[in-house]
Amino acid sequence: VVTEKGTGTPLLGVNVIIKGTTTGTTTDFDGKYQLKVSNGQTMEFTYVGYKSQEILYSGQATINVALEEDASTLDEVVVVGYGSAVKKDVTGAVESVTSDDFNGGAIVSPEQLISGKTAGVQVTPPSGAPGSGSAIKIRGGVSSLSASSSPLIVVDGVPLDQGNSGLNYINANDIESFTVLKDASAASIYGSRATGGVILITTKTGKSNQPLNVSVNHYTSVGSNVNEVDVLSSTQFRDLVLANGNANQISQLGNTSTNWQDQIYRGSLTTDTNVTLSGGFDNSNYRASIGYVSQEGTLRNSQVQRWTGSVKFIQRLLNDDLKIEANVLGALLDDTFGNTGAIGAAVSFDPTQSVFDPTSPFGGYTENVNNDGTINTIAVRNPVALLELYSNTADTKRSTGSIKFDYTLPFFRDIKLTAKGGYDYFEVDGNLNIPREAASNFNDEGLVGTYSTLNRSKLIDLYANYKKDIESIKSTIDLTVGHSFQNFYRSNRFNNLTGVGQATGNVFKTENALESYFGRLNFSYDDKYLLTFNLRNDSSSRLNPDDRSDFFGGLSIGWNIIDENFMKDSKVFSQLKLRAGYGETGQQEFGQDYGYIPRYTTGDGQVQYQFGYNTDGSPRFVTTIRPEEYDENLRWERSKTFNIGLDFGFFNDRLTGSVEVYERKVEDLINFIPVPAGTNLSNALFTNVGNLENRGLEINLNATIVENDKFSWNTNFNVSFFENKITKLFLTDDPTSPGSPTGGVAGGVGNTIQINSVGFEANSFYVFKQVYDAQGAPIEGAYVDINGDGVVDTDDRYRYKSPNPDAVFGFTSNMQYGNFDFGFTFRASLGNFAYNNVASNTGNVQALFGANTINNVNSSILDTGFQNQQLFSDYYVQDASFLKLDNLTIGYNLDNIFKDVRIRVYATGQNLFVITDYDGLDPEINGGIDNNFYPRSRNILMGLNLNL
Amino acid sequence: CESELDLEPIVEQSAADVFDDPAAYEQFLARIYAGFVVSGQQGPAGNPDITGIDEGFSNYLRQYWKHQQLTTDEALIAWNDGTIHDLNWQVWTPANEFITAMYNRIYFQISISNEFLRATADVPESEFLPAAYKAEVRFLRALSYWHAIDMFGNVPFVTDADPIGAFLPVQGSRQEVFDFIISELTEIEPIMIDARQNVYGRSDKAAVWMLLAKLYLNAEVYTGTDQSAQAIPYLENVIGAGYTLHDDYDELFLADNNTNGAQNEFIFTFNSDGLNTQGFGAMTFLVHAPVGGNMSAADFGINGGWGGIRTTSAFVNKFSASELITDERANFFTDGQELEIADVFNFNDGYAVEKFRNVTSNGVPGSDASGDFIDTDFPVFRLADAYLMYAEAVKRSATGDQGLAVQYVNLVRQRSNATPIGGFGDITDAFLLAERSKELHWEAHRRTDLIRFGQFSDQGIWPWKGNVESGTTTEAFRDLFPIPSTDITANPNLTQNPGY
Repeated sequence: VVTEKGTGTPLLGVNVIIKGTTTGTTTDFDGKYQLKVSNGQTMEFTYVGYKSQEILYSGQATINVALEEDASTLDEVVVVGYGSAVKKDVTGAVESVTSDDFNGGAIVSPEQLISGKTAGVQVTPPSGAPGSGSAIKIRGGVSSLSASSSPLIVVDGVPLDQGNSGLNYINANDIESFTVLKDASAASIYGSRATGGVILITTKTGKSNQPLNVSVNHYTSVGSNVNEVDVLSSTQFRDLVLANGNANQISQLGNTSTNWQDQIYRGSLTTDTNVTLSGGFDNSNYRASIGYVSQEGTLRNSQVQRWTGSVKFIQRLLNDDLKIEANVLGALLDDTFGNTGAIGAAVSFDPTQSVFDPTSPFGGYTENVNNDGTINTIAVRNPVALLELYSNTADTKRSTGSIKFDYTLPFFRDIKLTAKGGYDYFEVDGNLNIPREAASNFNDEGLVGTYSTLNRSKLIDLYANYKKDIESIKSTIDLTVGHSFQNFYRSNRFNNLTGVGQATGNVFKTENALESYFGRLNFSYDDKYLLTFNLRNDSSSRLNPDDRSDFFGGLSIGWNIIDENFMKDSKVFSQLKLRAGYGETGQQEFGQDYGYIPRYTTGDGQVQYQFGYNTDGSPRFVTTIRPEEYDENLRWERSKTFNIGLDFGFFNDRLTGSVEVYERKVEDLINFIPVPAGTNLSNALFTNVGNLENRGLEINLNATIVENDKFSWNTNFNVSFFENKITKLFLTDDPTSPGSPTGGVAGGVGNTIQINSVGFEANSFYVFKQVYDAQGAPIEGAYVDINGDGVVDTDDRYRYKSPNPDAVFGFTSNMQYGNFDFGFTFRASLGNFAYNNVASNTGNVQALFGANTINNVNSSILDTGFQNQQLFSDYYVQDASFLKLDNLTIGYNLDNIFKDVRIRVYATGQNLFVITDYDGLDPEINGGIDNNFYPRSRNILMGLNLNL
Repeated sequence: CESELDLEPIVEQSAADVFDDPAAYEQFLARIYAGFVVSGQQGPAGNPDITGIDEGFSNYLRQYWKHQQLTTDEALIAWNDGTIHDLNWQVWTPANEFITAMYNRIYFQISISNEFLRATADVPESEFLPAAYKAEVRFLRALSYWHAIDMFGNVPFVTDADPIGAFLPVQGSRQEVFDFIISELTEIEPIMIDARQNVYGRSDKAAVWMLLAKLYLNAEVYTGTDQSAQAIPYLENVIGAGYTLHDDYDELFLADNNTNGAQNEFIFTFNSDGLNTQGFGAMTFLVHAPVGGNMSAADFGINGGWGGIRTTSAFVNKFSASELITDERANFFTDGQELEIADVFNFNDGYAVEKFRNVTSNGVPGSDASGDFIDTDFPVFRLADAYLMYAEAVKRSATGDQGLAVQYVNLVRQRSNATPIGGFGDITDAFLLAERSKELHWEAHRRTDLIRFGQFSDQGIWPWKGNVESGTTTEAFRDLFPIPSTDITANPNLTQNPGY
């Protein structure tokens, strides 16, 4: 009998061959086999995905073999888009993370599973808002300025609509692997959408000829905020108001002490339970799961409840010539959105006031009012009232799925035809309700609103694969050609009605489509020399008809040096492969589907214009139409990437790893930029102008430090270095142009803190250079005259750092000792800077006093003593490098308590500590502008996995 | 599948189809008028016309007002929005986002006007597209070109003869664009509907005359040659067209100023409505922003003030001590306000100005019950302005009727209980400049007036000019704003104004 070593499950279809002969057999459903063997012959047991074993026959009646799953990356099969390949044959920068290596913890949004796990992939954890998604960046994520820099995500072969938010409709337990196509030569099979990289997600599948397996997983997690924004205590606040305020302002001081941040946050509870059934028969296998998560946010009144379900079914027919694979993933989410306006209000509201005021007409909450008792409309609102007198709930339905037919031609068995249909459906229905007593909407006498979103995309793929070993020339040819069509429909609307009867609303609908022809040729000679050629023709409905169709592609070569004769006997190297590739990819994912078409927008009822009077004497209002800006020449943004990689393994793969270097040049950026005045119908539009460059170095190391029956210890270390530079931004090169401002900040209206300039990093901070006194304290309003013209004015702003890190690191360790397991993941980032907008906006005396109000201020005022806002001081651009312990898990396997039942109990801590010099709440701010961020909580969870 | 890629807009209409409904011509015309008061196609905000600045800030009238007023002695702002104080202090640079927004607004108006003229070029006249539509669009385009040369000098010159898209406009000299505006106005004058005969809100012959008079009165600034004599016949046309001064100065700026009699003084207005014409610029700004301190928002028909704009002592002191009591135009709110401004950022420093309100003549608040948006219309041209312009044109050109000049000035003064002047000798430059300020303060004339009288930059001092509390002169080149650096970069045909 042949069984699987880990589980004892019988294996079907294992090849048992007498070595050196063609005599052999395969195992049956129960793993049994029979074979006539002579003494001294060697029996060879081989099975895909398992280490083969050889046993010398010496007269045994029965030979039971337990095959071990092969963890070697060499033979690992990776999906590469429209097919899969053995890792050894891959020539591009492709990296896979499988479920064994996933992060543990309370993970509702699955991209968190691979955070810190692989070089070149940055996953910024979501904010603390329940159900929110992470930002994923591949290779620094600066592949575009106005178009998307996010990777394309493909779930079981269905490219997701990049307009749909997040992956949180997928239960993390349903995912088998993430495969990241990092460089263009690999990703260019997805030509038009591959510039930001591609992430292929494969969900789990049942195995053939396996009895029903039931697994149950549950965890319960408690979360709490680690930190709060430093604001003045009520005593400090009182002192500062007394020192600086006028009589009116001083008279507004209350006599209590309220920590508003304590009032709006709470400990949060998350529970996650899911049940999976899987199994298989001779010709089919199945897997189905159902899951339920209830996740609270630490902000009061924020919560999400999620039901997920997945079904995957594979049926083989016609002697396995036809394979039908169907799968559906779905989620129902029930969101309660807390009013995040309370976060900013809590750092500003007067700490000497109490939460409640029995005389208040505003629901009994203390509020800022005018002298006549009416609500002060431009003052900060009571944070607790913002949370309590507010209801925003939404039901979200999201599903993706596909059905795929693989047919091997009976007379040309080298040819396989594939037809695939897929969809992505996303629907949100929300309700907003603000009661009339809420101070925030008091003059409107409350607000009732509804909103909805409906996005759907459909996919049809047809492709054929020809694979042939031509032994006479020691070559393998693997050719795929196909056609793909995907269409996206997106719509949303809102309708609001105030208590005084003002109705507003808007409807938006849009559509786009992509059609592609693609081909890939893999050619290998002698298993040593590899070549991959991708070619894809993409047409996008978003681009002008003359230029909408274009070719993208890539060429990459690989050399398995380890298989050369001179390496054969190496005791040191167990793997060595050199790879090099060049690829071109396109980009058309930007915020306008009809950017090349002249078109008009009808104004809503609130932007009509009075022309005279109706016959009844009432004013006659005329609806308006506006011509929209357009670029009739809109065409593809194009990236050219060069990549060199080396894969290596030492000491029988005890140490494996890879090193990659790349350079990417992006041309004809689809950029939202100002146009020459008078030449178009707005001052800026999406047009092709600008170039940028990225380069980087990535190192991935895996080490098996200890490996024996009792104790094993694996580690992964990865590091990525990034550089980016804008090389062209406008139609003409004007060296005197400062560039294109970006990065809006709080503090006044319309202020920006970042700039895109030729010769500098994207989103560089654009600030004044602060002058400090002898004690090292900043001198208010004193800045360096950078251009030396004798006056300090806006021309003296300079580009100082950027939110883009110079390097990011991941370190994972997994240990197993007997039944215990212990693992952790560290993540670090160096050279990323953040602008502390909370401090710059409110850390000054001016911010103490609003229009007839007094407001709390950021504690940085105690260091700076600033009287007025110094928004543009580089004092507030701070080094936000960090080291985070993302998670730590201890588990124990209770294998032998019940027969056939395997139980694992574990405890995980998430977001356990952060080491950083950054003064704000959290150094990890996507985009680099820190302003009233929903804090990430620290979670401690206990979990149980049950397999029967 | 190729045809699957030819997708048409769903919510928007393609240019090919939009005029299938002939009502679209009027709707397009309405949009060009609305371009001065709304900020986009979704009210009050949400689908902006121009980008790069907060949508409410981006509004044409709000920016025009700021450029004409914050740069002068009449208004100072307490907020800390971007580079807004550079306007107060006359220290702006080409990167100033407010100047950029003004410039972009002007060219948005010019561009959509050009588009209207292109779209209708081959469409025959009909009841849906009367000849007056095109003439009015050309008038509105001329109005924006006037703003362009008044503020920016030599400016990009584009007309409906140019295409949309990839070209670089040439820079028209101030003289060339001046000549273009004059020729346009002269050409459309006979096509425009007769004075006071068009529906309320649309322009007519009198609006054209008024703009011609403005151009000729300022011609020395724009072209170097005094042409004020040529303003006189156009002003005579206006004055003879049947407009009357409304008897109550305050009522000119109330929520019902389209019906309370004030409309008989208005030659051209930008219309606002609390329910149907909403935005955070225009009148919403002009009513909310000047209310703060101890002022009662309810008196202004709004739900709250924004504590932003007030005035300097230089303006207050234009009224004598007795005039401050008797002259109806001296509408200052002083309770809790200091006359002098020690702290620019403190609304309580500087007298508040009570001018635009969202209540009717009977004290009833405007139509928006929430108190956010405003019914009050903005008078662009009104008869009192024409009267004072007549007097000035007579003085400058030494032509025209001096007696009428005195009579017109006194009509304006007497309406507000100011004492009449004795004779033409009293009409000095200083008198004219001060009188225009008293009558027309906060109506977006001040910067142009100061420049015409040579008192804007290197002459003339008021508190906080030049970022000095007591005030100082600035460089003469500041009579022109810089061409925004965004357009200098985008269009290599442009030469920056001297000094920047």
